[in-house]
Amino acid sequence: MTQAGETAAERPPLFGFIRNPQDFFGALALVVFSVIAYWASSDLPGMHGIQFGPGTAPRLFIGLLIFVSLGIMLHAVIVTGPKLERFAIRGPLFVTAAVFVFAATIRSLGLIPSSFLLVVVSSMATPEMRWLETIVWGAILAAFCAVLFPYALNLPMPLWPGY
Amino acid sequence: MEELFHNLALGFSVAAHPTNLGLCLLGALVGTLIGVLPGIGPTATIAMLLPITFGLPPVGALIMLAGIYYGAMYGGSTTAILVNIPGEAASVVTTLDGFQMAKQGRAGAALAIAALGSFFAGCVATVVVAALGKPLTSVALQFGPAEYFSLMVLGMVFAVVLAKGSVPKAITMILVGLILSMVGTDIETGQTRMTFGIIELSDGIGFVGLAMGVFGFSEIMRNLEVAEQRELVQKKVTGLMPTRKDIRDATPAVIRGTLLGSLLGILPGGGTILSAFGSYTLEKKIAKDPSRFGKGAIEGVAGPESANNAASQTSFIPLLTLGIPPNAVMALMVGAMTIHGIVPGPQVMTKQPDLFWGLVASMWLGNLMLVIINLPLVGLWVRLLRVPYRLLFPMILVFCCIGIYTLNNTPFDVVMTGLFGLLGYWFIKHDLEPAPMLLGFVLGPLMEENLRRAMLLARGDATVFLTRPISAGLIALSAILLIVAVLPMIRGKRDEVFVE
Repeated sequence: MTQAGETAAERPPLFGFIRNPQDFFGALALVVFSVIAYWASSDLPGMHGIQFGPGTAPRLFIGLLIFVSLGIMLHAVIVTGPKLERFAIRGPLFVTAAVFVFAATIRSLGLIPSSFLLVVVSSMATPEMRWLETIVWGAILAAFCAVLFPYALNLPMPLWPGY
Repeated sequence: MEELFHNLALGFSVAAHPTNLGLCLLGALVGTLIGVLPGIGPTATIAMLLPITFGLPPVGALIMLAGIYYGAMYGGSTTAILVNIPGEAASVVTTLDGFQMAKQGRAGAALAIAALGSFFAGCVATVVVAALGKPLTSVALQFGPAEYFSLMVLGMVFAVVLAKGSVPKAITMILVGLILSMVGTDIETGQTRMTFGIIELSDGIGFVGLAMGVFGFSEIMRNLEVAEQRELVQKKVTGLMPTRKDIRDATPAVIRGTLLGSLLGILPGGGTILSAFGSYTLEKKIAKDPSRFGKGAIEGVAGPESANNAASQTSFIPLLTLGIPPNAVMALMVGAMTIHGIVPGPQVMTKQPDLFWGLVASMWLGNLMLVIINLPLVGLWVRLLRVPYRLLFPMILVFCCIGIYTLNNTPFDVVMTGLFGLLGYWFIKHDLEPAPMLLGFVLGPLMEENLRRAMLLARGDATVFLTRPISAGLIALSAILLIVAVLPMIRGKRDEVFVE
């Protein structure tokens, strides 16, 4: 998948000075992550004399992460590497949406409707989806889970809304 | 020696208990079932199946997980041979000659040799684990906090150096894992850390959700992008029995692969990958006619398959004796053990001998099961391979989500898993490997605890890691490894710069 050796002309002009966008933006995001983590841990006490406080180790590792990430960014400016890969929208969007729908409905609607919804929404993640097939498949899986989890694996949970 | 047999006998009495035997069989079966699905490797398989083992007693759960692991490894080889899709990095090598054999109508022989070779490797590796367990444990019992910390550093360095991508990026991933592991309540002071006021996070980030999201869900998202093309060359697998010539050709390769794999598996990091590639290179180098390789040479299947199976088993050694997981799969095992209240490490062998030896014995049984169940069931796996992905992935998602939900009966865990799935997808796009992150996440609490204790015992003197001899040796080894790994990279890249 790597597309090393791109010529300068093919790169977008705005970030033209970056020779390895994949690493550069990856590491940049890690720096942002570190800054957020640093801010989140800034209220934690540090060293008490020779004793570690709860904030010592997190800040130590956050500092190291910033240091290494900045190094990668610097390297990505100097040395040519792969371009940014295209992010698909459809797959991640519907898969994640389906998971959230399940999380939102499992308590209120029960196992059968929420796992049916999960199958239907997640199936939209692929253009090959066929409605009838998906609905039948969703019903089969929901029925199967309704037997498997509460009875075969002995994990009691409400099957239908209202409980 | 006598003690070894005594211990193994204890192990077999535990593992051969009907319940445990059943769990081992079930694990191997389910593991193969999921592992055979294209694009799902052993790490993702174990991550997705973790929840079903939580209701079991600890010994049974670990035996089942080990069974799942072997099943998933074997499932990966099956797809490698039949459809040219490696289930995981280690079976990339198997595709080279295995798929060619399938094209020639010899898929049956390739699958049988892979299974028999793996079984032989499993037998040898079980004995290696049993024999090395005791001495290594007694070494580990003399370790203080400083030594433990340095040992973990070494383990991480190994993982970084042997990972396939860039060394600095693997280091960042370990650090991300370490930082994520510190979310939640600090054990020593009871203070909540980095929770953003979210009550559900005060227990820390859930290990299962993290693993399932980053390995399972993100794999699904990535697989959805790749246009589906599975060429099943042999619709029906016939002639499972290898010919006498096949066996004669394969036997020496199996033995060499086993020895190589048993040795390399003990190393932290990519033991299975390294041993599979190493074995293939070795076979090609000593073959009378190296040009046969890549065109369906049976040694090219037999050697690497035995090697990666031996390695996957001996990789339990650092986990069981030192308590340090050498790779992502073992990190998952640590997670499972922790959930059952077992702290992995040298004390397991002395305090819970039934668990330790039961697990060792079940390794051998698990391998036997694979031979027994997989050869007759090959037809079933082939049929499973023809189920379209658009039906498979919603099914996997449903089982995962319900599994995650049942852990604590909270939808919060499900949401977290979904978010980690997106994070994992982003990692894939930036070529950041999630395996070192999982390692960092699992080792984080242990590392912090030992670092704190070592510093306290040394009265705040950080040189303690360099003045205690064992610790200094481990740190020095880590430093040398890192330098050796990074140097050629810098030099190689510099050449690139100059060429431009």
